[in-house]
Amino acid sequence: MHDVEATVARVLEGVLGAQRGEPAWRRDAKGGMSGWYRLGNPEEIPMVARALAGLEARLSMVSAYLVPSPQNAIGREIAYHFDLDGSTLTLTLELPLEGARVPSLTQVYRNADWQEREFRELYDIEVLGHPNPGRLFVDRSLEPALFERLIPYSTFINGANGERLWREVQAAQEEVAP
Amino acid sequence: MHTCKVPPLPKLRLYRINTGSCNGCDVELAATEAITRFGLDRLGLSFTADPTQADLVLITGPLTVSSREKVLAEYAEVPDPKITVLIGVCPISGGAFRDSYAVVAPLDEFVPVDLNIPGCPPRPQAIVAGIAKAVQLWRGGEHPPVSPGPEEGSLTENLRGRMRYRAEACVGCRICQHVCAGGAIRFDEEEAGLGFTLWHNSCLFCGMCSHYCPTGALAPTREWDLAHRQAEKYRQVEKGVVPRIPCSACGVPMLPVVPELMKKGYRALSAETARLQTLCSECRQVRSLEGVKRCTT
Amino acid sequence: MSRTVITLGPRQLGLEEPMYFRVQTAGDRVAGLEVLAGQVHRGLEHLTLKRNFYQNITLLERLCSLCSNSHPSTFCTALEELAGMVVPPRAEYLRAVADEIKRIASHLFNCAVVAHIVGEHALFRRVMELRETVQQTKEAIYGNRMDLAANCIGGVRYDLDAGRVGYLKSQLEGLKAPLEELYRVFADDPALAAATVGVGVLTREQAQAFGVVGPVARAAGIDYDVREKSPYGAYDRLSFQVAVQAAGDVRARALVRLVEARQAVSLIEQCLDQLPEGPVALMSFPEIPAGEVIAKSEAPRGELIYYLRTDGTDLPVRLKWRVPSYPNWAALGEMLKGEPVSRIPLIVNSIDPCISCTDR
Ligand code: SF4
Ligand code: SF4
Repeated sequence: MHDVEATVARVLEGVLGAQRGEPAWRRDAKGGMSGWYRLGNPEEIPMVARALAGLEARLSMVSAYLVPSPQNAIGREIAYHFDLDGSTLTLTLELPLEGARVPSLTQVYRNADWQEREFRELYDIEVLGHPNPGRLFVDRSLEPALFERLIPYSTFINGANGERLWREVQAAQEEVAP
Repeated sequence: MHTCKVPPLPKLRLYRINTGSCNGCDVELAATEAITRFGLDRLGLSFTADPTQADLVLITGPLTVSSREKVLAEYAEVPDPKITVLIGVCPISGGAFRDSYAVVAPLDEFVPVDLNIPGCPPRPQAIVAGIAKAVQLWRGGEHPPVSPGPEEGSLTENLRGRMRYRAEACVGCRICQHVCAGGAIRFDEEEAGLGFTLWHNSCLFCGMCSHYCPTGALAPTREWDLAHRQAEKYRQVEKGVVPRIPCSACGVPMLPVVPELMKKGYRALSAETARLQTLCSECRQVRSLEGVKRCTT
Repeated sequence: MSRTVITLGPRQLGLEEPMYFRVQTAGDRVAGLEVLAGQVHRGLEHLTLKRNFYQNITLLERLCSLCSNSHPSTFCTALEELAGMVVPPRAEYLRAVADEIKRIASHLFNCAVVAHIVGEHALFRRVMELRETVQQTKEAIYGNRMDLAANCIGGVRYDLDAGRVGYLKSQLEGLKAPLEELYRVFADDPALAAATVGVGVLTREQAQAFGVVGPVARAAGIDYDVREKSPYGAYDRLSFQVAVQAAGDVRARALVRLVEARQAVSLIEQCLDQLPEGPVALMSFPEIPAGEVIAKSEAPRGELIYYLRTDGTDLPVRLKWRVPSYPNWAALGEMLKGEPVSRIPLIVNSIDPCISCTDR
């Protein structure tokens, strides 16, 4: 486990050069390792992914999100999480709010397919070179990029539907009351 | 000898539709079907995979945008007359998933519903008891409901059934509402005091409210047979009012401090704590400061 | 050979949940597969951003009833890591007890479904009966047969007194012989062997290429179990051997699950024997600082991973998770290729796919 830091550092240096620095590694309460590294531009992700595939790293998950928060987003990021025999390496890619584009990793990792389709349908991010970029989970009748359009809710805990049901509950109480 | 031959009642067939559930209600339905002890058989019921052969429709899950068309088409295939039974709070109120962009529950906006069986998920005994009521509806009420099967091997003392609320122990801190994922709890400022309403058809029976309630004003009961007719849907509530009392010093209306909370703060109740209970927070502060002064001088 | 495309729904696939497949066939064989997901998409990841951390514990438990404890416990682990909370040891053990009891019930349910599909109806009922012991145990201890409501931030919200420890131990005792027997049936019964050996094979190389996890990966010889690779909670103090098989077929997957069900009994017993004294949870309302964190666990279907990003409020900025079924779906195409169309339901159920988990 201790040499995962050195191995990853070597691989990143090989792909991106020495001047870029190493991932920040953290140990959780049980000693589990997670490494955090920020990429420079979208072209770097397939390069690094290919090198990680050479280490038998598994693409574990891809998380897209808006920063600093969904309500007042000024930018977006994608975090690619890789498993290295129990340790997790997260490569974070900053993207603009408008015109975000990333190359597909499906050439390197077959299981990138669904991950990319998913963030593509939930966010305004274009995936270049995806073999099958259609909707995956979200019904075609729903708007695209739902995570960007539906976030500014005025009432976030009890939405409109809840309000309507509560009015019915209230009405039923008044009927019962003498 | 006189024998009265009662013709056996025709077997009724059940058809299941999953509209997008967490699979909890469906897995429990599968167990209800597989385990004879639960007694579906005794009710003269069997499942069918053919909607055109069904008499009763059992529906689980919060209707999703994607499943809506298929579900409604499937439902339409079941010939009329039919009895429609909703299983779990998902189809009844949307349950935990209400207000998602992808969910269009409650189901009664789309199909006529006869009976609701709340729970998340309801235990098989509750499902069977509910279906028994549905069968009674189907048969026009002349046949008494079949009593639920014996509780072989079940220990039910910890069961998380219907939640119970005691206004006399409530301090109005609203923490229950804060932690409730079902949106099942409401507080209203009423003339008489602070009104509390818990709608059982929105409740997920998770017990978070009772876990975080500082005074034990909320607690789960063991009542699990909560099936009710559609007309009763919005009447399934737990209600109470925490009355306001005038502060014994300044007269401003306030929520009384309940003994449960005083016990937490002071370990033992005394005449002094009893007096504190009748004071509003400002007067309480004044009095405590006096106490401090007494101690320091 | 005639090539056609057929669409199969939950009924034809023998699934409890709605999922659709578009299958290309060549004669009576499968030539290609497209999985059409989304029927159970409830917009859950989006919903979690509108719910505070406390509400999300209950909401995540409703993601899927079969692995319902894995979600809140992994989510709580992420929050605790961010807050720098050290969960009391007793709580760690009690979380493991809840996770393992769910694992037994989940694996038995899949085992029952597989028996049903191969036409072993008596076996199906027997397994469902055995599962009832687990269901009753969960209800007796946690108050519900599916959703245990065991977790809170900082620990658990249940405790086991001597009486309940005794009850749990005797329930576990009752599971041992039947689980042993069940393993033998799936390992040796000629009819079952004929239906499952060499069927729906996924090689080790394919398993690696698709990044599959859990029993599907371990049945193909991949020695990976989060409980052992990056132990969490009490698992660093519990001993078990990762269940691995080599054949990568339907039988191997069933055997991995049955070994794990037996092990789960032993893991719970170890927890009960080691159960330290002390509190079951830390303070109720910790402050969760801004940050990002990964938390993982071995759910019944395999590795579950959570990514949580916070900004100091009690709503998440982003909560993303990847369930074990997610990568396993894609590998199904390889397992089905060249198999007779009639075997699709069995092979599909052999990966124990969870649709509510996948669609979210
Ligand atoms: S009512 Fe509860 S158990 Fe049933 S499907 Fe809905 S979330 Fe799942
Ligand atoms: S048990 Fe309490 S917290 Fe849970 S859903 Fe019901 S009312 Fe809400």
